[in-house]
Amino acid sequence: MIEARHISKRYGDLVAVDDVSFSVAMGEVVGFLGPNGAGKTTTMRILTGFLPATDGTAVIAGHDMFEDPLAARRSVGYLPETPPLYPEMDVQGYLSFVARLKDVPRKQVREAVERALERCGLAHVRRRVIGMLSKGYRQRVGIAQAIVHSPPVLILDEPTVGLDPTQIREIRALVADLAAPKQGEVQHTVILSTHILPEVEAICRRVILIHRGRKVLDSPLGELTAGGRSLEQVFAQETSRDLAHAIVDEAAGA
Amino acid sequence: MKHVGTIARREISSLFVSPVAYVVLTLFSVLAGFFFLSSVLQFSEYVSRLQQFQVLDQLKELNLNDHVIAPFYGVMSVVLLFLVPGITMGLFASESANGTDELLLTSPLTIWEIVLGKFLAASGFVLLLVVLVSLFPGILFAYGDPEIEKTVSGLLGLLLVGLTYVAIGGFASSVTSSQVIAFVLSFVMLLLLWMLSFLADLGAAGGPVGQSGVAGFVRWLSTAEHFQRLSQGIISTADLAYFGTMIGTFLLLTKAAVESVRWR
Repeated sequence: MIEARHISKRYGDLVAVDDVSFSVAMGEVVGFLGPNGAGKTTTMRILTGFLPATDGTAVIAGHDMFEDPLAARRSVGYLPETPPLYPEMDVQGYLSFVARLKDVPRKQVREAVERALERCGLAHVRRRVIGMLSKGYRQRVGIAQAIVHSPPVLILDEPTVGLDPTQIREIRALVADLAAPKQGEVQHTVILSTHILPEVEAICRRVILIHRGRKVLDSPLGELTAGGRSLEQVFAQETSRDLAHAIVDEAAGA
Repeated sequence: MKHVGTIARREISSLFVSPVAYVVLTLFSVLAGFFFLSSVLQFSEYVSRLQQFQVLDQLKELNLNDHVIAPFYGVMSVVLLFLVPGITMGLFASESANGTDELLLTSPLTIWEIVLGKFLAASGFVLLLVVLVSLFPGILFAYGDPEIEKTVSGLLGLLLVGLTYVAIGGFASSVTSSQVIAFVLSFVMLLLLWMLSFLADLGAAGGPVGQSGVAGFVRWLSTAEHFQRLSQGIISTADLAYFGTMIGTFLLLTKAAVESVRWR
């Protein structure tokens, strides 16, 4: 469903993402982990077509992001780090706007908006102005705009950041629900970036760890914690081992 | 191009839920009323003075179009210069400030659709302003007999000036995420563009600039030059081409500026 092929992103001399490849199968929920500044957001922006990669390409639901960007973008729902909301619009108006942007056929817009409102628990605030909503609700509106056109692929950049514990629990339940739909609902393939480890343990079945722009780990969650290790230990080990590698490389180079 | 309407509709409704649209409409109406009244009063005083001194040949020359309507349009075009930046400042700057540019640029639409949708929305608003202006000469038709052709041609000029300002203001808004900077930047650009004809006049009065083709080009660039001819009732292809060129150029620049997020 999602395929990253040797993606690199350089800003001048700075390498933000360095030759990252992975693929995600239909219905998988993948946790995209890494310390702050590891290149998670940049990778996601490339996958969603917001930024072009310096090298490599992304294929979303069979559409190449650089050869057929419109079709590829149609297949993605994206929640950026800050939800892209217009504070002056009401929830329903905003979601119909997004639905039209995402090429939902005119006659199905109302139905699509209704479904997104329902699924994100927003039906009772549909007439409220977004700027007046609490942070948790705004985050839900952000998720609702990502799923309003029922895209096969969902990319969520830190969906629970800055929320209180109750809201975090609700959003996690919502994300879990998106990947495991009830009858008649669309199943989404989800990539979820975070640096909150319990979140990964709660909803993801597979983990990709990015550190300093490189993929350092890609494995099912069950295998990682099989030896009784906590995810936190794995995380600390992988990010420090990479650091050690870097030091060795540098010494060898010198 | 099917998203142009979607973008434009959202932009217009945003404009009307924020106070900006109402502030601009109110100020514009007040100023239009004030300047219309003052040009009518000036005209009537002039007429009565000429009658008093029996300057008949000058009295014969007087007419509503050249002495009331055209000066009124002239002042309103300067008012547009102040108010249009207020309308356009948020067009693109607010998108990058809200982070909604990430929504637009990851949606299946082209950058042209975004740029044209926003241009269309702000143009619609300018059209509304021009309709407001047209009410005032309308009053004159009830009490006098101005020439309809000249009156309409001036309105067309005002509209074209407004659309040019929208294109330039939109560009200023696309290069920054601060609405204040967008406002100041477009205001300064518009003012300079308006004042260029004065520069050309100075050059023509003597000095090296006047001798070269530069003065001609500078004069051509100035919005005031082209607007003046339209408000005198002269509609020429050259002037229409000027407005078309300006609008097209700044829309292209805007498109490049929006796209440049991707180059960085």
